[in-house]
Amino acid sequence: MKEEQSKEKVKKFGMVIDLDKCTGCGACMVACMAENNVPFKEDESKKLDSITWLRIYKLTNGKSFPDADICYLPRPCQHCGGKGDHGHSPCVSVCPATATDYNKETGIVSQIYTRCFGCRYCMAACPYHARYFNWWDPVWPDGMEKYLSPNVSVRMRGVVEKCSFCFHRYQLAMDKAYYEGRREIEETEYQTACTQSCPANAIAFGDLNNSGHAVYELKKDKNAFRLLERLQTNPKVYYLSSREWVRRAGDNYLKDEKK
Amino acid sequence: MKIDRRCFLSLGIGGAAGLALSPIPWKLADDSAIWTQMWPWTPVPADGEATYVKSACTLCPGGCGISVRKIDNRAVKIEGMEGHPVNDGGICLLGLSGLQLLYGPNRVKTPLKRAGERGEGKWVKITWEEAISEVAKKLGDIKEKGESNSVACISGSDKGTVPALFKRFLSVFGSPNFMRMPSIQDSYEIANNISLGFIAQTGFDLEHAGFILSFGSGLIEGWGSPVRMIRANSSWRKAGIKVVQVEPRLSNSAAKADKWIPVNPGTEYALALGLAHVIIRKSLYRNDFVHAGASGFIRFRDLVLSNYSPDSVEKITGIKKETIEALAVDFARSERPVAICGRGQGKSQGSLGEVMAVQALNVLVGNINKEGGVFAVNDPAYIAWPAYQSDAVGAAGIKKERIDGAGSGKYGFAKSLTNRFAGAVNSGSPVSLLFVLESNPVYSLPDTKDVKDAFKKIPFIVSFSSFMDETALNSDIILPNHVYLERYEDVPATAGLSKPVVSLARPVVSPQFNTKHAGDVILLIAKEVGSPVADAFPWKDYQTCLEGTAGDKWKILNKEGFSSDPAFTAQVVNISPGRFDLSGGVADLSILFTPVNSEEDSKAYPLFLLPYDSFRIANGYIGTPPFVIKTVEDTVLKGKDILVEINPATARANGLSAGSYATLKTPKGSARVKVHLFEGIMPGLVAMPRGLGHTAYDNYLAGKGINVNELIGTVEDPASGLDAAWGIRANLIKA
Amino acid sequence: MDSALIPRGVKRCPTWQFALWIGAAGAVLLWGVFAMLLCWFKGLNQTNMNDSYGFALWIWADLAVIALGGGAFFTGFLRYIVGKDELKNIINYAVLIGFICYSSALLILAIDIGQPLRGWFIFWHANVHSMLTEVAFCLTCYFGVLTIEYVPLILENRQIDKVPFFHRLGHNMHEIMAVFAATGAFLSFFHQGSLGGVSGVLFGRPFGYREGIFIWPWTFFLYTWSAAACGPCFTIMITKITEKVTGKRLVKQNVIELLAKISGWMIGTYIIAKIIDTWYWAKVTAPAAGFNLMDFYSNNPFYGIWILVLEIVICGVVPAIILTSEKGRKNPAALMTAIILAVLGACVNRWVMVLQVMAVPVLTFENWVMYYPSWQEVATTILPVAYGVILISLSYRYLPIFPQEQELNPEV
Repeated sequence: MKEEQSKEKVKKFGMVIDLDKCTGCGACMVACMAENNVPFKEDESKKLDSITWLRIYKLTNGKSFPDADICYLPRPCQHCGGKGDHGHSPCVSVCPATATDYNKETGIVSQIYTRCFGCRYCMAACPYHARYFNWWDPVWPDGMEKYLSPNVSVRMRGVVEKCSFCFHRYQLAMDKAYYEGRREIEETEYQTACTQSCPANAIAFGDLNNSGHAVYELKKDKNAFRLLERLQTNPKVYYLSSREWVRRAGDNYLKDEKK
Repeated sequence: MKIDRRCFLSLGIGGAAGLALSPIPWKLADDSAIWTQMWPWTPVPADGEATYVKSACTLCPGGCGISVRKIDNRAVKIEGMEGHPVNDGGICLLGLSGLQLLYGPNRVKTPLKRAGERGEGKWVKITWEEAISEVAKKLGDIKEKGESNSVACISGSDKGTVPALFKRFLSVFGSPNFMRMPSIQDSYEIANNISLGFIAQTGFDLEHAGFILSFGSGLIEGWGSPVRMIRANSSWRKAGIKVVQVEPRLSNSAAKADKWIPVNPGTEYALALGLAHVIIRKSLYRNDFVHAGASGFIRFRDLVLSNYSPDSVEKITGIKKETIEALAVDFARSERPVAICGRGQGKSQGSLGEVMAVQALNVLVGNINKEGGVFAVNDPAYIAWPAYQSDAVGAAGIKKERIDGAGSGKYGFAKSLTNRFAGAVNSGSPVSLLFVLESNPVYSLPDTKDVKDAFKKIPFIVSFSSFMDETALNSDIILPNHVYLERYEDVPATAGLSKPVVSLARPVVSPQFNTKHAGDVILLIAKEVGSPVADAFPWKDYQTCLEGTAGDKWKILNKEGFSSDPAFTAQVVNISPGRFDLSGGVADLSILFTPVNSEEDSKAYPLFLLPYDSFRIANGYIGTPPFVIKTVEDTVLKGKDILVEINPATARANGLSAGSYATLKTPKGSARVKVHLFEGIMPGLVAMPRGLGHTAYDNYLAGKGINVNELIGTVEDPASGLDAAWGIRANLIKA
Repeated sequence: MDSALIPRGVKRCPTWQFALWIGAAGAVLLWGVFAMLLCWFKGLNQTNMNDSYGFALWIWADLAVIALGGGAFFTGFLRYIVGKDELKNIINYAVLIGFICYSSALLILAIDIGQPLRGWFIFWHANVHSMLTEVAFCLTCYFGVLTIEYVPLILENRQIDKVPFFHRLGHNMHEIMAVFAATGAFLSFFHQGSLGGVSGVLFGRPFGYREGIFIWPWTFFLYTWSAAACGPCFTIMITKITEKVTGKRLVKQNVIELLAKISGWMIGTYIIAKIIDTWYWAKVTAPAAGFNLMDFYSNNPFYGIWILVLEIVICGVVPAIILTSEKGRKNPAALMTAIILAVLGACVNRWVMVLQVMAVPVLTFENWVMYYPSWQEVATTILPVAYGVILISLSYRYLPIFPQEQELNPEV
């Protein structure tokens, strides 16, 4: 009983992304860049050194014209809980300097830029390629640094960064709540930048443990799946798709293996 | 003391050991680590008080409300405005990137006068007084010669007070040549003019529609008001509304639709007529709505029944007749079905026949003027300024024929035909002075070479651009406008909306550079030009004009940031049943439905080049900002290379493979491209995105890819003067 | 000119010749140093690494040199703990090679990390769950041990030895070397294992992931084992190369053969374990994640099944058979072939466990990613080779590395 109560208190923020609604418009990607002071370079077409905390993948069903089909899949950091949700995400457990951490209170995987010394072991560990290295010094054209937000620190060259579920927004919301004498925040008080921007309302964000939050029911949808569940990474990002081939693209299956 | 080797060694080792035990190395290690944590070249954004300013986005005709987060006097983030009737909190990637335009390196920071050759990029800075008197002097000279009608203006839009001020200026001065950049709006206006007898836009109540049939419209890729359309799409998903997309290429809209029907490009009109054929033959049309007795209907009926049977339509479109039959029945039997056209984002006009045929479907099912249906929408009604007095030259000038021919002769139904502008100038219609407002015609009009030639013939070009775009670069004087985040402006959202909204853009930050509001500049020019032009502009400044124009709505605009009061925003025209004349009073109906494929030699050009619109590449006046270009996939742009989409079968036939270089040739030009194989495109087509290949702008955009407008031309629709081109014949040769 | 520094009773090449040799190696070293400075001052954008290849050539080089440097701990273990006394004739060289390998590994790591000035955070903010933390601690400690093992050798230089303090220090250090050898073996067991764990624990990467016992994946043990097996082969290989370059015999054949024999049995047992591990992984571990064995070896331009055959059969089974048979060991060509194959085997194993792990797509909608190093990466990887050549040359010239040299090359 006691355990249950304490479990009730533990928040587990997560996302449910409806791929039927997602149009691949890219607003979430840019909202994320704008919110989190993500730098940009002259050439961003080399996608393997292009920092996009949230990246939209274009999936194809592999069939030929006219049976071809495509589906977009936005991929933020999956904030894996690891086996049994104990916080042993693939990346957190390997970081030698404790520069990435699993926040037990929220389930959010953080990144401490000033502690990271750039060994990139976490990147090798992450099967989602959700982690990005600052191969370059971040440079803004003269005057453009004016739009940088003070809520998110600018990362220096040589460190790893990734989606934080806009953790600073959580902190701001909690600060406000405390200031107003509340211990908890409402669902709407903490939403990520991508969720907020999505013109299609395809992204739902909230506490997966809280039955009052939209994500609580959405994640139980029959069309819900997560990426690479078989690896037991236990991600906190769920996807919905009515298309079977899309759901199947979420994980690896042996030939002739039934899902 | 003699220092021998032993002593030296002992000293050295002892010293090293001593140093290691002292705090010095540890302190150094710590300090150097701390230094790396705050490298002076890595910016630290200053903290301050956070506030939000409500405003409106002007980057496309969508008319979204925005809410800008500020820290002290810096704008740090643009978000969608919660509760705004167009976007309710949602926002697109271009809108999100606005601050990169505001603070970007491509701003024109002060009035500039050309110093070198046109396009050379050599400028001298001048003061605003000098700039305005220079333009006024040119205007005075023109007037003196009695050639007031040789002044023209190309504007990105003709909605709102700023374009209205420019239009008024031209009118008083004595020129009918106020043009707006071409779009599907031109076609819908003409179609309405023909079938209803007056110019109106077409609005769609898509949120409540019960079946969507899209003829190549990029419903979720920037067509109409983009965020609103994506929201509508989500509501269709939720409610299980069926969407059918007819298009030769599996666009995102096609992929999102319930059914994608590939169609031979340019034959969409035939499919619409084929559907009409089935609907009429099976008597599925709304007799009470279609004024069956009207001659227009009978002529239309006779035409489609005799010429557009599913059998013959199959031959034209490549769509199986069973599919056509089923689709027609599905469409006609649905509740509130809506048919839409306007390829991609609707930035090309298309043939009149196509719009008429698609509109005919809406008329046949009677889904006009009601919830979930199609509306005719008048321009916003709030701009009602007192009449003005022209002088003799002015009065004579305004009566002259427009350069683009719109409104007279065989183009009598049209309001603006900017697609004909370059051709007209090149064939001798003189333009002595051109204003360019919030548009980039040198880049965005098809057949770039033709447009550039036309611009060369114009002796004086005045750009009001905030950015050093291709047109600004090819102008003689630049009078930089404030960016939308620095200025007040009314923003009427009309694109495809059945219930238009007017929003208010307002200064989120103070002007960052020595720029001036284009509204103020035109007032100053008017003053300088003198009476009677000056008298037509009684306002002290633009701000006064705007507040006065908004009248009693100013308060609410200022408070809420928008107004959706129908009395203020626009008038939905009440259309009585039978009002639609399906044959549109056109003497020979078949002229409407003549295919307008470019008929160049199919041997030299066995393929077709199909430009397409991508939501992730801005292709209008605004150049794609760095954030947005970052989202472009590497199957579209790789380094400086543009990738064209072709079917693997096309690749095999042309000896090409994924990633190989090829020369793309069209009758208009050729370009080096890379090949991307895509199973979602019909064999025989080559698809290229619009919006790349800028020569102006900064290093984040310039020189990347090819401007498809350099490869395509215009094809004049014989029925309307619209640009009916949907592509061009092409060849793809391995490089 | 420098004859006073050269050990008594051995012959060395003229100074000019030596200077020329060092000069050539030094030029290569400088090239590497230049590349290193580029990486430090301009950042890792100088490499061809990317977000799919966070680990690449350098990490492979690290793993490989540490595996090959494993000859030092294992020979020490055999000499001091097991008591194979003959090995005293090669232990010096094994230690020197180990010292070079480990110092190189540390240098490469210092270039490889994005924030070298914060590298010490690995100790200060240590995360005990991370294999790299364990690697860092053990590696640094063992490098200390190797230094302690190498110092007495330096002290044996003719001139330094003249100083009574150094003479006594060297003597005393020799006395307690068994303690250090034991410490070294213990530390090596852990860091070699931890390096194996680096890819073995990556449960998000089915190509690298292995099950195991407690917190240790099977690769933990396989790495230690393979380092012990192949490290001595590297020692032998370098010894043979040194003999070739100097034109002298430096270590008696019986010593080489003894070490080769032990290596042979180690490789043999290792490869059996490796085959079992591979089989279990292919049949159980990978399929559980949705992968067939051939998914890892197809649909890409480089990694075919050949690399598995190369690693296990050609560079594992073959040298094991040669080295465990007396006939094989006695045949110089066969011995050398086996030695080289064993060294190659360790390198290939480390390569696939780093590079192929990065190359294999895990998300179904991603593709294989290929990588080739930039010249800066190559130069900084060759840097340690040049540094090793220089250090070996200096040590060989001025220190009595090979106790049997005088006996094998009597002055005529």
